[in-house]
Amino acid sequence: MRSESNHVNQSLFVMISALGLIGALGTVLARNLVHAGLFLVAFFFVIACQFVFLEAEFLAAIQVLVYIGAVAILLMFAIMLTRNVQGDDTTTAPRGVIIPALATTLGLLFVLAFGISKTAAWTQSSGRPAIEVVKPGEKPSARALAVNEMGRTVGNELLTRYAVPFEVAGLLLTAGLVGAIALAHRDALEEAAPPRGVAARTGGSPNGQGNGEAVLASGPVSSSTPSSGV
Amino acid sequence: VNAETVWAFPSVWLWSQSSLVELDRFTVIKWALWLLVGFFGVFPGIVAYMVWAERKVAARFQDRIGPNRVGPLGLLQPIADAIKLLTKESLVPRTADQFVHLLAPVLILVSAFLVLAVIPFGAGLAPVNLPSGMVYLVAVSSLSPLGIFLAGWSSRNKYSLLGAMRAVAQLVSYEIPQVLSTIPVVLWAGSLSLVTIFDRQNEFGWFILSPPGLLAFMILLISSIAEVNRTPFDLPEAESEIIAGYHTEYSGMRFGLFFLGEYMSVFGVSCLGTALFLGGGSVVPFAPFSEFPMSILGPTWTASLLVNAILLSVFLVKVLGFVFLMFWIRVTLPRMRVDRLMNFAWKYLVPLAIVNVLVAAVWYELVLRPGPAFYASAWLPGGLVNWLIGWLVTGPIVLFLVWFVIWFNGRVRTVADEIPSVTHGPMVAAAAGAR
Repeated sequence: MRSESNHVNQSLFVMISALGLIGALGTVLARNLVHAGLFLVAFFFVIACQFVFLEAEFLAAIQVLVYIGAVAILLMFAIMLTRNVQGDDTTTAPRGVIIPALATTLGLLFVLAFGISKTAAWTQSSGRPAIEVVKPGEKPSARALAVNEMGRTVGNELLTRYAVPFEVAGLLLTAGLVGAIALAHRDALEEAAPPRGVAARTGGSPNGQGNGEAVLASGPVSSSTPSSGV
Repeated sequence: VNAETVWAFPSVWLWSQSSLVELDRFTVIKWALWLLVGFFGVFPGIVAYMVWAERKVAARFQDRIGPNRVGPLGLLQPIADAIKLLTKESLVPRTADQFVHLLAPVLILVSAFLVLAVIPFGAGLAPVNLPSGMVYLVAVSSLSPLGIFLAGWSSRNKYSLLGAMRAVAQLVSYEIPQVLSTIPVVLWAGSLSLVTIFDRQNEFGWFILSPPGLLAFMILLISSIAEVNRTPFDLPEAESEIIAGYHTEYSGMRFGLFFLGEYMSVFGVSCLGTALFLGGGSVVPFAPFSEFPMSILGPTWTASLLVNAILLSVFLVKVLGFVFLMFWIRVTLPRMRVDRLMNFAWKYLVPLAIVNVLVAAVWYELVLRPGPAFYASAWLPGGLVNWLIGWLVTGPIVLFLVWFVIWFNGRVRTVADEIPSVTHGPMVAAAAGAR
């Protein structure tokens, strides 16, 4: 029974991983930017499936939420802010970049494969027990806790063992956010500073804050104009 | 084997709401039944009659009669509509991206259906009881912005693209307060599973009956209406501005899929609000009596049938009330302006939802953690005393927070309004002089 279900799992794993490879290749090879983004979404979804295989449904849901629900959407938004809204005819990479990029990718692949096979996780993963049922009055094992209460476990780990990496990641994201706003704000200021006579006629105040909601309404438009030329 | 235990066997499964799934034949049959009866039969039927109900309700609000030609009271109108949609030609623009154009409505529909998979409709009547059901729910509902975006993008139509951009901006903004407003519930239940949340509400009373719960429910209601693109948040498909928004280039059954998906997600968010804040199928909102239908649940077949009948009908009544509220808002309020839409999400709802998590923690410490016997006095049961103390402490805090957010944002606006009155001064004077 155990071995039979293992075979089913193995073949499912191979099929889903093949889909993931197709998604990854499609991301790189698709000529249309939005299609490439869609392939990336498929790849993210396959990663979520792999989490389900590892009995980590919480992480699978987080994967879908963060990567498909947020990152992919932001990606699409970024494409829409470029001049090439339909995403067609993406230019091919310059010739000089291809060889270094290939070398870097192969090197990364080698490092990852080496690192993962060194930890011997491949051989251990086949003999894992199924989800353990906790009997009343018995202390649940760490594994049962992690599987049955994964949200709690992840939260605990994030606030204790991984507190510093968690905070550093948060700081990094905040810095990125502030930097992006600073860049966009400077562009908007340069755009919104017309000659003196114009400012007096339209009633715009010099600091760009005036005119109440009219400025609010036109603010996003003027700030997105420079980036659409990129 | 006597007859009683044979009949009792399935109800034992109904009774024990374990999150661990045994993949035996029984579970497979259960899931097949859910798929065939629930997801292909009952839910689309509910959606079809929700459309009928909306047309009737809107007609009454506008002093009309509504559909009354097909069948008595127009009751066969949804069937006629469905047949019409199915037999219509599906036109796809020649320049459209054929595959993505097909994929987009499917993605939206899948997202709307998947949300329903963790809702506890009754005792043991949750299709799947995931230990992290709330995260799953948020994750699958975050797929629909992608579908809307792809629909608008693949149509190669500027109105579609405009509608899609509006939709994505709106959905991404309102998703944040929607998710944040469910955190108090997760905090009080101590679990992400919707079945556990239902059980906790049987134990403690409905979660809406506390100041932070009420605030969270209001935030959830508003942002849910925005999430399903209904008036006053229907900018993505504003017909007076951008034709039909992201589904301008859809016709026939592909448009029907959008329609189905939209009403399905209305039903989904109503189920979510009911399960999270209105105690699911329990009848009485207050603590000792809120266990009512579940408390008579026994290991016999008849008891569980009776309990589930009560739970299901009460659940449906609450969902219908929720849906009626949405219809009511739709026929009453005009569409919002786009900058006010964004301001409302980011300046009002998000700060309120974040601070509300802290107030919810105060409520948890005062009322839920001590249990019923902590502050017991001679003439009042302990749970009631705790409850009163909780209301006295958190009620003013919540009122102050709402007032503060409104006052703060109003203050910013009046300062901004004063500047133009200064800079416009010469212009006004010149105009007056010319006259």
